[in-house]
Amino acid sequence: MTKYVIKRVIAAILTLWALVTIVFFLVRLMPGEPFTNPKLTPQVIENMTKYYGFDKPLIVQYFHYLGNLLHGDFGFSMKYTNKTVNYIIGQTFPFSADLGIRALCLAISFGLILGILAARKRGTKIDFFCVIVAIIGTSIPDFIMGALLQYFFGIKWGLLPVAQYKGIEYTILPATALAFYTLASVSRIMRASMLEVTTQDYIKTARSKGLTEARITVRHQIRNAIMPVMTILGPTVASVLTGTFVIESIFAIPGMGKYYVESVNNNDYSMILGMTLFYGIFLVTANLIVDILYGVADPRVRIGKR
Amino acid sequence: MKKRFLALALAAAMIIATLASCSTPGSGGGSSEEGKVFRYAVNTEATTFDPTKGNSIGDNEIQHAITEGLTRNTGGEVTPGIAESWDISEDGTVYTFHLRDAKWSDGEPIKAQDFVYSWQRLVDPDVGSPYSWYLDTIGIKNASKVEAGEAKPEELGIKAIDDKTVEVTLDRPMEVLLSAIGMQTNLAPLRQDVVEEYGNEFAATADKNVYSGPFVLTSTENNVYVFEKNPEFWDADNIKLDKVEINYIEKPDTALAMYENGELDFVRLDNAVVENYKDNDDYGVYLNGNVDYCYINPNSDNPVWGNKDFRLALNFALNRVEYNQLANSGLYVPYNALCFPGLTGKDGKTYGESYNVDSYAYPIEGDIDKAKEHLEAAMKELNIKDPGDIEIEFVTTDAESNKKIAEVLQEQWQNALGIKVNIRQVTYADIYGEVFPKFDYEIGYAGWGPDFDDPTTYLNLFRSDVNWYTPYGNEKFDAKLDAAQAVTDDHNKRMDLLNEAEQILIEDGAWVPLQARNQSYLLSPKMKDVTFYSFSINIDWAYADVAE
Amino acid sequence: MENLSKEMFVIKGKNIEKMETISRPSLSFWQDAWRRFRKNKAAFAGMCILLAYILLAIFAPMLSKYGFSTMDATNQHAAPSLEHWFGTDATGRDQWVRTWMGARVSLSIGLFAATINMCVGAVIGGLCGYYGGKLDMIMMRIVDILYGIPSLIITILVMLVLGKGVAPLIVAMCVVGWIGTCRFVRGEVYRLKEQDFVMAAKVLGVSDFVIIIKHIIPNIVGMLVTNLCLAIPGAIFQEAFLSYIGLGIAPPRCSWGILAKEGIAYLRVHPHEVAIPAAVICTTMLALNLLGDGLRDAVDPKLRGTE
Repeated sequence: MTKYVIKRVIAAILTLWALVTIVFFLVRLMPGEPFTNPKLTPQVIENMTKYYGFDKPLIVQYFHYLGNLLHGDFGFSMKYTNKTVNYIIGQTFPFSADLGIRALCLAISFGLILGILAARKRGTKIDFFCVIVAIIGTSIPDFIMGALLQYFFGIKWGLLPVAQYKGIEYTILPATALAFYTLASVSRIMRASMLEVTTQDYIKTARSKGLTEARITVRHQIRNAIMPVMTILGPTVASVLTGTFVIESIFAIPGMGKYYVESVNNNDYSMILGMTLFYGIFLVTANLIVDILYGVADPRVRIGKR
Repeated sequence: MKKRFLALALAAAMIIATLASCSTPGSGGGSSEEGKVFRYAVNTEATTFDPTKGNSIGDNEIQHAITEGLTRNTGGEVTPGIAESWDISEDGTVYTFHLRDAKWSDGEPIKAQDFVYSWQRLVDPDVGSPYSWYLDTIGIKNASKVEAGEAKPEELGIKAIDDKTVEVTLDRPMEVLLSAIGMQTNLAPLRQDVVEEYGNEFAATADKNVYSGPFVLTSTENNVYVFEKNPEFWDADNIKLDKVEINYIEKPDTALAMYENGELDFVRLDNAVVENYKDNDDYGVYLNGNVDYCYINPNSDNPVWGNKDFRLALNFALNRVEYNQLANSGLYVPYNALCFPGLTGKDGKTYGESYNVDSYAYPIEGDIDKAKEHLEAAMKELNIKDPGDIEIEFVTTDAESNKKIAEVLQEQWQNALGIKVNIRQVTYADIYGEVFPKFDYEIGYAGWGPDFDDPTTYLNLFRSDVNWYTPYGNEKFDAKLDAAQAVTDDHNKRMDLLNEAEQILIEDGAWVPLQARNQSYLLSPKMKDVTFYSFSINIDWAYADVAE
Repeated sequence: MENLSKEMFVIKGKNIEKMETISRPSLSFWQDAWRRFRKNKAAFAGMCILLAYILLAIFAPMLSKYGFSTMDATNQHAAPSLEHWFGTDATGRDQWVRTWMGARVSLSIGLFAATINMCVGAVIGGLCGYYGGKLDMIMMRIVDILYGIPSLIITILVMLVLGKGVAPLIVAMCVVGWIGTCRFVRGEVYRLKEQDFVMAAKVLGVSDFVIIIKHIIPNIVGMLVTNLCLAIPGAIFQEAFLSYIGLGIAPPRCSWGILAKEGIAYLRVHPHEVAIPAAVICTTMLALNLLGDGLRDAVDPKLRGTE
């Protein structure tokens, strides 16, 4: 087990290195320059190119960047001059993470509950209700969902704050808007997976053993059915925690999502790299945890036997 | 054991959820609302708080409140700033400024050297300042040479005669110098010791800077910029506001909702919602100085662009009133010439009032017959039989409003002339990083906000020796500009010459004018003396007040 | 119990004839699936809605008197009426025509992108999950890296090479889009291959190919179909998101995402401009979901014969 974990960690580091390298060269292929102010004269662009060291050979820049990375230094943003990428991430990530955790908790807990309910009461009104919720969640694009929630709860009925992120009541609308899609996916997958498990022999065995339905559901069904849900959770965790552009912009939350999209639009090389790497670290870690959990949760998948 | 692990993991998630619900990051708590407070929203984030590196109207608006230049320009009215008085030499090329006893926010005196350091830093190629071109456009001696690395920063046309005297030398007389100094905050004083102490991180946060202006920045965290009155400011007695909060809110809808909830005192309106608000008492409109138009690349691979008749055909075919109705809900001012009509013109009137643009420019509602005549002529010359064989490519950024403009133009040109118009959408980085600088386009949508209050801020773009945005060149036009430059004593004559230069561009179809942009806003009726301006600053609240 | 004696029972013998009668017609797997699918009214309704939309997408723009890009300065933001069934947009274009022009783009992107992603993902994921070992290790590392690269960058690069349009969008979505299915299928296959029926088949000497076709695929097909039905809206959403940040198809063509995005700005003033595209998107998703559920139930081998 320990050996396996060490192996996976080394692989994860290599993955990150490959990621940095690929993205480093990929962003340079993007059309345009990082200096995008309409007022910049050719002379200014030349000076700024020199200032940021873009006149040096690419490979020199690459090793320079790697060297800085080893100190944990992502460099300065090109659009937000005077601010380091580390500073921007440090400022914005807590908001994204906070929102993301709330949304995830909402999505997972309600998603699982709805999925399990729907599967157990298959074909009844409860099932129908759960399916409707899932469909609404997956059928409204988030920019419409966010705007609608904001319009009705914030403006029309004045129940909750319209925007910004200053206290718990401010978090409800954005977290709900963000959670909806994941919630719906989780409940759908859980429902399908629960139904799948229902016909398995061990459930029949459990039933014939005389276990109560509740016990069968909790101990046998859910535990086995949760597997496919966990597969989609790894990437979801990473993307939800590192911020979603749309929800953050609608609710004016100072999170990371905006910087990510904006840096790509502005060719802000150091920001793209820094954000990608940060996101990559998250993702790789999340996948690692999911992989290990997978082994722990499924009694038949033995990691050691790989 | 595994079961317990899973249970633990789930429990942990729940605990995190509950814990997280106790506090949110950066929750400010209830700020005690004392004194006069002004709160508003901006939809672009400040790129920097370093005056040297500021590069947008948003940056400049912030700096305008926290810095004080030699002069102060409030909505076009130039008043003494740190300089108490000034002398101008006979030929108008040497300005001597006499400074008052003003202090930085940390109590240190503001010296002449602070200005010299700031201006030198602005053009220093090793600093990489985006606005380093500005000093050259207002005629400061040697600015372009220093920028190009051909002269040392010390050779720049600014000197500290002593602690209280600044001497500025120009290489050509510049009518707008005092007004430009008062509004362009890249020219504000800087403290060398503070800049050097923080290095690259100078002004990264509110505490890594000192302030010379009416306000000090106290926080820039979490997209809220907080300003408080600067007690050390020389004119602090006349500053009424105690606190100002700028909230960066990207979505105009969101900002509007906050305004309606009473959380903001000023908000810019999206064109989409204006019709619901335009009869309100708090509704207003200001011209932001931007004139939008399409650049043409006469050297493009597509031969039609070198043809004057074809360019004129495009211009005559356009019904700018209908275009404006479709593309901008009729909210902007359809415009058929180049220079912003709000510029200062002759005899104290605006440029738009001084000259009857419609008498020489393209008809505002278009003229299809004339357009067709020009198209015929162009086709004859280019040996094209069918207008359907002409295919042009229109470049624009991927912003929603630009897309709509492109669609409307496409529709109008295709219908009026029978030619084919393709739209190419590129990213912002692409259009300003590559498409325009490398002339990789046929016709491209852009616009220009004035850098100072003079027609040359627009006209210079079309000079043959300025290869920026468009490679267009016309000797007659250059000659007219040079003639205007030579006139130093007669403002009206100079204006006439500049206007004639603009007419040359119109006759030649050098570009396709579209609109003068304006901005609708809502301003709380309790706010007093908020000034709107069209040059580098849109909203100026330094001397604003809140009614009791 | 003790009262029962042997004398009370009669040996009737085997009824050979009756044993051999086939009481129900013999059905192949797919015949059975179709039979069950037809019985599911909701799924059938879903299919009908989808078919109706596809037909409208093909014919509605052809039959209307309005062009999809014809503007009308005198008729901006018109409410739905007999003249304009879905009203008009900010530039006076007929929304009915635009909605179905948009359907062409959105439906084809959704269908193609999701299907291609699913096929590629299922094949790669299946191979990795089934064979495991080195191949799995290497593929998973590649997947991790691809996952980390912002899809936005890849989308921009692909659009740069191929130009704007529906096909480049699909390609751009597929470059990284298969990864989700791949991980999912890998996990499922990994789980299945440890199960007893696969073990049994292996012990009996069944070839890998047959195991995959006969045992693994029928077991994951239900999940895949559900996933596909989630993936189609996902693809339609992704297109909408790309349009939202300005990377969509070239104007003046439109998609549902673009219509919704254009409409959302007028939410307060002309709500129909966002309500109609949103409603169309929602009903499509509803149809897809019902269809997906129906298909899942129909093809699930474990539900075979149960009603």
